[in-house]
Amino acid sequence: MAFDALMANKMRTLLSMLGVIIGVSTVIAVVGIGIGAQEKINEQYKNMSVESILVMGGGGGGGGGGRQTASSKLKAGDVEVVMSDSENLRSGTASYSGNTEVSFGKFSESKSVIGVQNSFFSAVNLQLSTGELFTSQQYGSRDRIVILGDTIAKDLFGAEVSSAVGQIVSVSGKKFQVIGVLAKNGVSSRLASYDDSVFVPYLTAEKSILGSKGRIMLIFLANSVSVLPTAMEEISGILREHHKLKSTAEDDFRMFDAGSMVSSAQSSAQTLTILLTAVATIVLIVSGIGIMNVMFVTVVERTKEIGILKAIGAKKGDILLQFLLEAMMLSLLGGSIGIAVGESAIPLLNKLEGWYLVYSTTGVIIAFVFSVSVGIFFGFYPALKASRLDPVDALRSE
Amino acid sequence: MSSIIQMDGVQKSYFLSNGEKIPVLRGIDLEIQENEFVVLMGESGSGKSTLLNIIGCLHSVDSGKYVLGGQDITSLRDDTSLATIRNKMMGFIFQQFHLIQKMTALKNVALPGFYNGMSVSQRESKARQILTEIGLSDRMGHKPSELSGGQQQRVSIARALLNDPEIILADEPTGALDSKTGIEVMELFTEFRKRGKTIIMVTHTPEVAKYADRIIFLKDGKVVNHNYYHVSP
Ligand SMILES: Nc1ncnc2c1ncn2[C@@H]1O[C@H](COP(=O)(O)OP(=O)(O)OP(=O)(O)O)[C@@H](O)[C@H]1O
Ligand SMILES: [Mg+2]
Repeated sequence: MAFDALMANKMRTLLSMLGVIIGVSTVIAVVGIGIGAQEKINEQYKNMSVESILVMGGGGGGGGGGRQTASSKLKAGDVEVVMSDSENLRSGTASYSGNTEVSFGKFSESKSVIGVQNSFFSAVNLQLSTGELFTSQQYGSRDRIVILGDTIAKDLFGAEVSSAVGQIVSVSGKKFQVIGVLAKNGVSSRLASYDDSVFVPYLTAEKSILGSKGRIMLIFLANSVSVLPTAMEEISGILREHHKLKSTAEDDFRMFDAGSMVSSAQSSAQTLTILLTAVATIVLIVSGIGIMNVMFVTVVERTKEIGILKAIGAKKGDILLQFLLEAMMLSLLGGSIGIAVGESAIPLLNKLEGWYLVYSTTGVIIAFVFSVSVGIFFGFYPALKASRLDPVDALRSE
Repeated sequence: MSSIIQMDGVQKSYFLSNGEKIPVLRGIDLEIQENEFVVLMGESGSGKSTLLNIIGCLHSVDSGKYVLGGQDITSLRDDTSLATIRNKMMGFIFQQFHLIQKMTALKNVALPGFYNGMSVSQRESKARQILTEIGLSDRMGHKPSELSGGQQQRVSIARALLNDPEIILADEPTGALDSKTGIEVMELFTEFRKRGKTIIMVTHTPEVAKYADRIIFLKDGKVVNHNYYHVSP
């Protein structure tokens, strides 16, 4: 019965559903964006231990790029100083990185080169795919040996990365022997994607490739997440003392912990989601007002019918339910169309630069619940009015 | 024989939007027996429709007493109870038919069954049966706009019968029909009376009123005369 009533006036039905259609497709997109952003963050940080603490040169708290001020006294040797004085750290390592030309055959591109100390790979959860890692003796050397990230290895040697081992590539114009290739990792650190980097011993990077142009980063692993704040204070204290900073002077280094980097990334993704959800909610409320409007018109138009129904025995509740069902059907029909529109928009939006939306049942469920509640909420008042009409007055109306 | 409707000093006023009080029924004393065919007559504005609507529980009374089938319903205000009485005990027939335009004759007739908790097949087979009896078996799928006035009125009569009510209330049922069709409707009513229904009908037409057992005249909101045509068996 409710459905017949809707079909009787197709154009009006469609117009009143338009708001819901737009609102619901927005919800689908919003949830797709939200979950997409979340997935990206998870992917980005999945291999990073939450206990890790990163220390970089340059003063003034967090944020910004990796620029190192000339005044910074941060050195690779600081790792040992910190480790010997600290009680809350289980390991520490340093890296020295910058960009340089990497070439092999016809391939020649500027890539990130990272000079690494002993235990760097385990600290950042990088696994070997083929070949070998540096020996502890090589770590301390200036040998011209290199380990390739997954992406760069494939660029240079094709999908069969084991063929890379033993080959000679040119780094910064000098010949380096490939001794290993890393497994795909997915992490892009603040500085570069590990998959698209080449790794050399620390001193090789500092003395033979980058000179003073590289950026130093110390990486510590705290004993557990719970001691992270203590450990960070400790590191700060030790470094300040070692760098002989006056108590009034600012730090000449910056420190981050992986956990708060993840959570700040997450919270910015969340902010985005909240913002978009607010937009979708507003659209849905406006669409609800549209439905309410149409329902009021419908009730007025069908006043006589309501009188007839009451005369033949319809209760207030029956009338209420009938009009509520009609409103719900409007919004549900609109909702279903909206879901279809939203879902089919996802692949199109994903073609846009910088967009990443994910299909999700959560989105469909939220959209569904949203549209039903819009129908119930905004259909209720018109339905209530209909149910309260006096039967004799209603019968008399034209 | 027992009385099905009993009224003592029933009063009813309307209030205009400016607050003005319009007294319409000024003390109705009335008794209608089971299986009686009663006609209400009187000048326009004398309160016939108002009285019929009170009998049919579409209106409540302001003061006085209304006993329906032995139950005092004077102060009954509960919507569910009133709706149930209208649904099961009353069958309404109106001058303007009051059919739902977008529904077929069959759906219109079946509708009271929906509010009586009958299944679709139950109420539609009952509707089919009544429409057939009333001579509309070939018009069941038609919408009201595709039917003549007389046919529409017969559809509305069929609808009034669906839940087998004890009382049939008809407000000028022949008012929109030509006299021949009006007579046909009266023959149907006579048939219902034979089957035990109580019929209360408002009319302005003396030829139509002749079919009743008794005529009740209203004037200025009061019963002025009971005129018996037939002696009830
Ligand atoms: N809703 C209302 N508000 C105000 N006055 C009303 C209302 N309904 C009816 N009346 C008044 O009550 C009086 C009786 O109306 P009612 O419809 O009962 O008369 P009636 O006897 O059926 O007349 P008719 O033969 O013309 O149908 C009339 O004077 C009418 O104007
Ligand atoms: Mg009248």
